[in-house]
Order: sequence, then C-alpha cells, then structure tokens
Amino acid sequence: MSIETFIIRNALRNKRRAALTVLSVAVSLFLLVTLLVAMRELTQPPEDVGAALRIAVRSRISIANLLPARQRAVIERIPGVEAVSPFSFFGGKYRDEELTMFAQFGMDPKQLRPIFGEAKMPAEQYAAFEADQRACIVGKITADKYGLKIGDRMPFTSTLYPCDIQLIIAGIYSGTIDDRNVLFHHKYLEEASGTEGQTGLWWVKAASIADMGPVTSAINRAFANSSAEVRAETERAFQLSFVSMLGNIKLFITAICSVVVFTLVLVSVSTMSMAVRERFRELAILKALGFRRRELFVFILAESFGLAAVGALVGIGGALVLFTQMDMSRVTQGIMLTFEVTPRIMGLAGLVAAGLGISASIAPAISVARMSVVDGLKTLD
Amino acid sequence: MALPLKYNVRNVFVRWRATLATVLGIALVVAVFVLVQSLAAGLKRTSGNTGDPRNVLMVRKGSTAESSSQITREQYRLIPYLPEIAKDASGRPLVSPDVLVLMMLPRKEDQGEAHVLFRGISPVGMELRPQVRLVAGRWFAPGHREVVASRRLAARFASFELGDRIKSGTRELTVVGWLDGGDSAFDSEVWMDADEARLLFDRQHYSSVLARAVNEAAMGALTNRIENDRRLPLRALPEVAYYQAQTLTAMPIKVLGGFLATMMSIGAIFAAMNTMYASVGARTREIGTLRVLGFRRRTVVLSFLLEGAFLALIGGVLGCLLSLPLNGYATATIGWETFSETVFRFTITPALMGQGLLFAVLMGLLGSLLPAWRASRLPVIAALKSL
Repeated sequence: MSIETFIIRNALRNKRRAALTVLSVAVSLFLLVTLLVAMRELTQPPEDVGAALRIAVRSRISIANLLPARQRAVIERIPGVEAVSPFSFFGGKYRDEELTMFAQFGMDPKQLRPIFGEAKMPAEQYAAFEADQRACIVGKITADKYGLKIGDRMPFTSTLYPCDIQLIIAGIYSGTIDDRNVLFHHKYLEEASGTEGQTGLWWVKAASIADMGPVTSAINRAFANSSAEVRAETERAFQLSFVSMLGNIKLFITAICSVVVFTLVLVSVSTMSMAVRERFRELAILKALGFRRRELFVFILAESFGLAAVGALVGIGGALVLFTQMDMSRVTQGIMLTFEVTPRIMGLAGLVAAGLGISASIAPAISVARMSVVDGLKTLD
Repeated sequence: MALPLKYNVRNVFVRWRATLATVLGIALVVAVFVLVQSLAAGLKRTSGNTGDPRNVLMVRKGSTAESSSQITREQYRLIPYLPEIAKDASGRPLVSPDVLVLMMLPRKEDQGEAHVLFRGISPVGMELRPQVRLVAGRWFAPGHREVVASRRLAARFASFELGDRIKSGTRELTVVGWLDGGDSAFDSEVWMDADEARLLFDRQHYSSVLARAVNEAAMGALTNRIENDRRLPLRALPEVAYYQAQTLTAMPIKVLGGFLATMMSIGAIFAAMNTMYASVGARTREIGTLRVLGFRRRTVVLSFLLEGAFLALIGGVLGCLLSLPLNGYATATIGWETFSETVFRFTITPALMGQGLLFAVLMGLLGSLLPAWRASRLPVIAALKSL
C-alpha cells in the first residue's frame, strides 16, 4: 500500500463523517462566494457599453431637484458635446401593482440612438417611437415578463408627478445592461404633469474619451453661481453615488463573511480532531513502527487539506454553475443583474479553503506529536 | 420509562471538547440571524414610533412619500376651515403645511455622500410633533437660514456640528441646534423654517399637511371628508398609519436575513450531525447497556434528540448573548420611501431572541435525528461487545 492510498483510505474510512465535513465546507464556501459576488455587484455595478462617453448632469442640491430646460442650449454649445437629452424618472406604478420593479423615464426620442446606442431596435420601431408623442419603448425583460407586444397600452400612476399617463408601445429594445426600463417622450411628461420647462437631469454624450474631462468641468462651470447649479459627472461616478447612499452595506457584508469563515474553521477543526482522536491508537502504532512526527503531520495535513479541497470544489463549483445557469436578474427581480462569479472571488474562496485545510490539521497534529507511544497505545476510545 | 435528563445534560458537558465547536458554530449562526433580523426590527420600531395618534397627515393622491408629494397653496387654503380640526387656545387651527427637500451631503470620514431629508416646518408643525425635543443649541429663528439637525444625523454627516455651515452652491444654512426624535423617523430629519425652505429651494408648493383632529372620533370623519372632497386631490390618513406603512426598506434586509440563516444553518446542521454521530459512536457500549436494562428504542431516540436540542440550546443562548452588545447601536441606510439617509438602531427584542432559540433547537433536532435513529438501531449484543 502506498502512502497516497493510505491517506485516501484513512479519509474515507468513516464515509459519513467525510461526507458531512465536505458538505459543511461546501455550503459555507457557497455562501461565502454568494456574499462576495453580491457585494461586488452592489459596490461596483456593471457598466453599459456606452457608459464611457456619457455624462450625467443633475442638480447640485439633490437628484430630486429639477433643472430648468434653458440649460439645454447652453450645454449643447459646449465644444465636445455630441448630444443632450432631458431625462426624468417618472416613478410610476404599472396598472394596480403595489411595487413596480422597472423604471420609466421621460426623454428626447431623437437623442436615443446618439446617447443610448446600445439599445438595439429595428429602424421602423425607432421611427414609430419618434413619431407619436404618446409612444414608448419597453425593454425586452419587461416585455417578456408581462407578455407585452407592440401596440399594447401601458397605464402608469406616478408617485412623483401629479398625473397618470397612458403609453402605447412602439418598440421593444434589448442590448443594454438592464433591459427593463420604459422610455417615453419627455414632452408628454411635461404636458401631462404641468412641469413644462423642467427636467430631472440631463444626459450628455461626449464626442470622444478625451472630451470627457473638459466637457464635465465646462458644464459644472457654466452654471456655477446660478439659481440652478449642477453637478456633472461620468456615468460611473453617478452610479457610484447611488451605491454610497446604501450606507454601511460593505462593512455589514464583510462582517458576515468573516463570521461565516470563522464558523467554517471551527467546524472543520472539530471534525479533524474527531477523526484523529478516533485513531490515536493507530497513530501510536505508526510512531512505534518508526514513523516520525513530521510524517504523521503530513498524513493528517493531507487528509484535512483533501477534505477541504473537495468541499471547495463542490461549493465554489456549485456556485459557479448555479449562477451562470440561472437567470439571476429574473430571480432577484432586477436587483442583481449579472451576478458574475469572477476568477478573483473564486481564488479568494479557494484560498480560504486552503487555509482551512491547513489550520484544521494543526491542533490534532500537535496533540499527536505530544503523545507518548505508550499512552497512545493505551487509549481506548 | 424515560431516561433521566441528567444523563444527557452530563454527557454534553463530559464531552465538552468535542461539542464546543458545534455549540460555537450554532451560536454564531443564531447571532447572525438575530442581528440581521434586529436591523429589520429596528426599522420597524422606528416607523412604528413615529407620529401622534391624534394627527392626520395629507399627501397628494398617488404619492407614496411626503418628500415626493405636492400640495398647492390653493388646496392648502381649504384645509384649516374643516370642522373636525382642533384649534389652540388662541383659536388658531392646528394645521401645518410642510416643505420637504432632499439635499445631497457628504458623510463623515469619506464615507461617500447621501441624501438628507430637510423639513421646512412651522411653529404649529413643531407643536404637532411633541416627540421631537431640542437636545443642544437652540431652535432656528423664523426668517433665518438656520437649521436644527437630528443628533443622530450629526454623528454621521460632515457638517452638522453646531455652528457649521451647510453650503450648496450659493445657498448657505447654519446649524444652530440638534434635535432628538426619540427613536422615530424624525431622527433622520433636519428641520428649518418652512418659508425659508420654500424660498431657498424655490418651491411653489407644499409637500404635506399635518392636522390635529378635535378628538379620536373626528379622525375618521376628517379623513373621509378630505378623501371625498373633489377640490382636494389628497390622500389623508392617520399620521401613525402613514409611518407604519413604510416597510420597503426593511424588506430586502429581511430577505437577506432569511437567506443567510438558511444557508448557515445547513452548515451548522451538518456540524451538529458530525458531533452527534461521534457521540453515539463513542457511547456504543453504553447504549447497549441501556437497551439491556430494558430501555426501549423510542426512549433512546428521544434521549438523543433531547441531547441534540440541549446542545443547540446552549449555542442559541450563547448566540443571543453574543448579539446583545450591538443592541441599540445606531446605523443607517437609504430609506426607499424617502430616498434619504434613514437612521435606525439594532433592536433585539425578546421575541427575536425567542425566535433565535427556537431556530437553534430546530437545528439541534434536525442534526441529531439521524444519529439518534442510529443509536436506537444498534444491535444490542454487538454493542455490548464493542470497545
């Protein structure tokens, strides 16, 4: 019998315990991966393809403060600006829904292609959207969820504006990072709500990456010390400002991750000790036969490391397969979009498993090293 | 005949080294469960604490929060003359139109920015909210650009020390005092003069109107009258009910808590099973002896189930104790109704601890079910012969 077979046989001689250990490690690592992926997605939201050239312009006071329409002409004249569109969050409830999980935005349909080019739609749907002031376009996810098709009507009651609106679907788009939103004419929003000449924010498209910096600061400067000061920032910075509003979420998830890891270590250490205690007598015999402490430590380490590795394989692999196969954006109703298990996260979880395998073998190894052969041979239980 | 409980209790302690890790594992699971749920409980307590039972709040029909509601001045003018509204000693109707504005402000220590809810309020409005007290400095003077910030917000944001100036472009406000909302939603607000707020933030309309009804019986009549008045497209409801309905923020926390507890408990159940199997294995001869003495199989099963439950209960108690130091600790996140920083506290209620203990016992029972079954099925003679 070779050393390898000896170790493997030893690990599997109590199959039930081996299975339970592997499973508890697997479940914990699965949870760890899930938390890390969720944290990554929350704190570094996925970006759209066109995001690098987009600038969001909002009121300096807060996102809830409206901006005057006269700013548009000023922004359009800034060199390096390719397109500008008003953009207002309608905050509508769809039909009788208590909580609508997709957003509706009023915007300028003519600027849709220049600014949000990643939204793909047949040319005639673009034309139909531009032609009718009551028309809207719907993201594919939402259209599929409600079984909507072109020509259907969508009634909304706003929680923000004092009006109800009814939109007619002119197109169904896909290709953005989150194909859920409804886009409609800003003009219709202004007329229906009596907020003519106001917008929630401006989306600006810069001509090139080199223009981003100068355009952003030019917009900020253009309205400094005016009654409607603005804050222009890249789409990324704009997204991250929402993340920052979540507050202590990062600390919170990190704390839970640490507890999970700690619990994991505890459980594995206790299992390994159990496995070793059970065969104290055998280890004493091995010692009597002339095996050295170092070699006994290797036996224990290899067994514990092997169990942790199998657990890691099941847990991390399971998470990878599950999250790639499952449509997480549907499961979480759009709160999570990609839920990508990155190599970095897998590596980190693997590292935790490795550390676990090693640390779980230390305490039993020490007690084996300390035991005298005679005492070991006398052990009964 | 049942086995004496003492047998199991002593067994747990005799093998303390083997059971310690399992007990600690269960303790940590229970601690995480209790803490996450205590966040949801804290949010619930905060919204449940808010409001005066005699007040009626009015917002625009269709709007879900005060901060996104608009009430025009024409609409407001009709309200003070409604007969169900109480009057103060000088005959002034107890009605207050408020203006709510969000401001994006930096947190302390580079913790990013967040929206803060500013409430433009009248003297009557302050009278209608008796749970709010001044704890430092002084109240704002009418007609001045002064604010009184909640002391809990002051602990989180960069420019809320007394005397600090809050700047937003050309606008400037001075912090002159701190308020305490007594663990209510007002702990997440900054108060200032209503007219100044309207001028400063260029608001033509009010956001909400709060009114005191003559007595409790008049509450229903008042809400009915407003809801049915065609001139007033408003939703009227008891102030207390309005705040109680703000449950959006707690929902994702509850879901997260449930998910975490489920996943972690699966791991803990495996650990408990390991411990209990080992415990059964080590006591094979003992169990054989018990059977020979005439104890029945079901007695043995019950006995081991109780042992598992007891072991888990110790873990549960430990977990509750571990979570207790965080009780009352204030934290904050974005409130989905107001879209602003919402302060609340970890609130560990006795009911929550009870749930934690129950959860622990459940884990113990599930973990010891199979080992107990195995113990009862051991062949008696072989068990007696085993070493």
